[in-house]
Amino acid sequence: MPKTILEVIDLKKHFIDRRGLFSFFKQQRQSIPAVDGVSFYLKENETLGLVGESGCGKTTIGRTILRLEKPSSGKIIFDGKDITSIPTDELRQFRSQMQMIFQDLDAALNPKMDVRDILSEAITVHHRISDTEVDNRIGDLLEQVKLKKSKLSSFPHELSGGEKRRVSLARVLSVGAKFIVADEPTSALDVSIQAQVVNLLRQLQKQLGLSYLFISHDLRVVELISHKVAVMYLGKIVEIGLSDRISNRASHPYTQILWSSLVEKQSKETVQKAKNVQAGRWGVFDFEGPAAGCRFAPRCPVYESMGKPMLCTDAASEPRLTDIGGSHQVACHFPP
Amino acid sequence: MTTAPILKIEDLRTYFYSRSKQAFIRSVDGVSLEIAKGETLGVVGESGSGKSVTALSILGLISVGPGVISGKIGFHSDRIQKDLLQDLGDFVKLTTRAGKVMEVTKDVVGWERNTERVMSKVRGKEIAMTFQNPKSSLNPFTSVGKQITEAIRLHTAMKIEREAKERALTWLDRVKIDSPRLRFDNYPYGLSGGMCQRAMIAVALASEPSLLIADEPTTGLDATIQSKIVDLLVELKSELGITTMLISHDISIISRLSESVAVMYGGTVFEYGPAKHILSAGFESKHPYTSALLASIPSAQNIREKGYLPAIEGDVLDTINIPEGCRFYSRCNQVTEKIREKCARQEPDLRQIESGHKVRCWLYFD
Repeated sequence: MPKTILEVIDLKKHFIDRRGLFSFFKQQRQSIPAVDGVSFYLKENETLGLVGESGCGKTTIGRTILRLEKPSSGKIIFDGKDITSIPTDELRQFRSQMQMIFQDLDAALNPKMDVRDILSEAITVHHRISDTEVDNRIGDLLEQVKLKKSKLSSFPHELSGGEKRRVSLARVLSVGAKFIVADEPTSALDVSIQAQVVNLLRQLQKQLGLSYLFISHDLRVVELISHKVAVMYLGKIVEIGLSDRISNRASHPYTQILWSSLVEKQSKETVQKAKNVQAGRWGVFDFEGPAAGCRFAPRCPVYESMGKPMLCTDAASEPRLTDIGGSHQVACHFPP
Repeated sequence: MTTAPILKIEDLRTYFYSRSKQAFIRSVDGVSLEIAKGETLGVVGESGSGKSVTALSILGLISVGPGVISGKIGFHSDRIQKDLLQDLGDFVKLTTRAGKVMEVTKDVVGWERNTERVMSKVRGKEIAMTFQNPKSSLNPFTSVGKQITEAIRLHTAMKIEREAKERALTWLDRVKIDSPRLRFDNYPYGLSGGMCQRAMIAVALASEPSLLIADEPTTGLDATIQSKIVDLLVELKSELGITTMLISHDISIISRLSESVAVMYGGTVFEYGPAKHILSAGFESKHPYTSALLASIPSAQNIREKGYLPAIEGDVLDTINIPEGCRFYSRCNQVTEKIREKCARQEPDLRQIESGHKVRCWLYFD
């Protein structure tokens, strides 16, 4: 029985909108619920895929778990210890075990440091070791992520997208991380390179027993790499379950729409069907004033087809995640 | 379909010079393509294979030296018939050795003046382009509606501002932007990525071009938005019957939209032919690169059967040091002993293997 490495309980992160020079004195400050009550757990050696449209709070969850953002409420339990509000100096020892691969690598890799400097800095930050050991360690890391030795003296701008991912992966591994938040690691890569990165991530997981929180909006990749998938909408998880079940027997209307929008899966008939589903209002969603009751109701085809039942928009009864069997949970009043 | 091609590119070469490496970057190195009237040509390939540079060369938008150095771009619409690279030979002198360009002397200023003269009636009016990054390609200081109005007044017979404005509103409506009257005065920063893409399509189509070049219209968008942009393109295609050159690295999008496909690698076309043949999994004779590219599309089936995704090992070709022989040789997994020698030494040319289907690979010709 693999042990639970991460548990998140009712995590909330509300950003406060500070617009204007004297906003500090304002009586009413608007808060934006980027993450609004999210709970899940992650076992060792497992991957949880987190999908959703941009702006639904995926990245914020990742950042909050690593305590890069201060959570507003809720609990984060990492490796059996509550790290929600431990002081920064205690947090440091956990930082070597949990790491993040950032989405924008042009911003995440220092443009003035070459690959060797980037890696050796990461190695020496948590462990005090001699220069020769550092060199050995760098050699091992390069082998693990399959990067050529000749790239050590290259600067980030000289590397291709795939190579940059490898460097950031090596940097994460160099501190000995067990749990990795991978934020869109395959976005903006070509399919061939994307396949290389996905294979590498899977291989490292097997070799080193890593756990991933895999954030992506590319459903095909998430489906491939994850054991479990969580679908997010407006700061909440609307469906969570095993990867196979989510991709084949999606129950939440939002998940169904997401999956039907995969261009590759569309034949002529399903295109027509998807069009009918999407014909409803499908505009930009409003984070600042989410709909009362079920957040998805304004865009929901089921809500529309059932004649707009009161239950869906009743502010007192927001749908909760309920088990529909096979460790598959859906937050919908009318699961099919 | 035997209509004359609206665009016919022959042996186009666009080079850049890398000062630090003291060598040419052969971004486009002998591309030949044809787009028939009314059809959509999909151009696929990894990044760095020269897709966008080809598009920019067509429009004469390459401003770094030496840029376009040889080739022909024949453009034949109802209104204009000419070679977009006419008189190129007068401005460029090439020194070649064994078929390879070693030195280029180009009168860049003269060539640019010539391009402006040749392209003045073509760029924007006959050939319109939507660029890769809509947010940075729209003018941040001008409202979206104004930008469409500007295109209409500049390129069509409609010169009166009020009329053009009405037309711009119908275009906004046509590309499915909600409440066009409200959005008309919005600036690009106020629009989401998908809406910017729509707005840019509207700007491009407002001048009623004969050919639309769409460069990566769906990259950087969410899956739901992506499929809606594709729906929009499908709809506009059936409504307006516009000839399109669609550039993308997403094969699923190309296969839904285009009739013919060109697969590019390392600055050349590797395979060219009807989309339904080349991009369907069951079809046999294809270039090894195309098959590898198709296999690396993530699918649950792959993982279940093999336990991994069949990736193409190695990196995209370094177009500075193009090796002798086939450009794909070092990454190719279908080299047989019989042709190994040939693959390593001699570059294959793009040959027809059946009607309308061309391949650049030794596997198919002895």
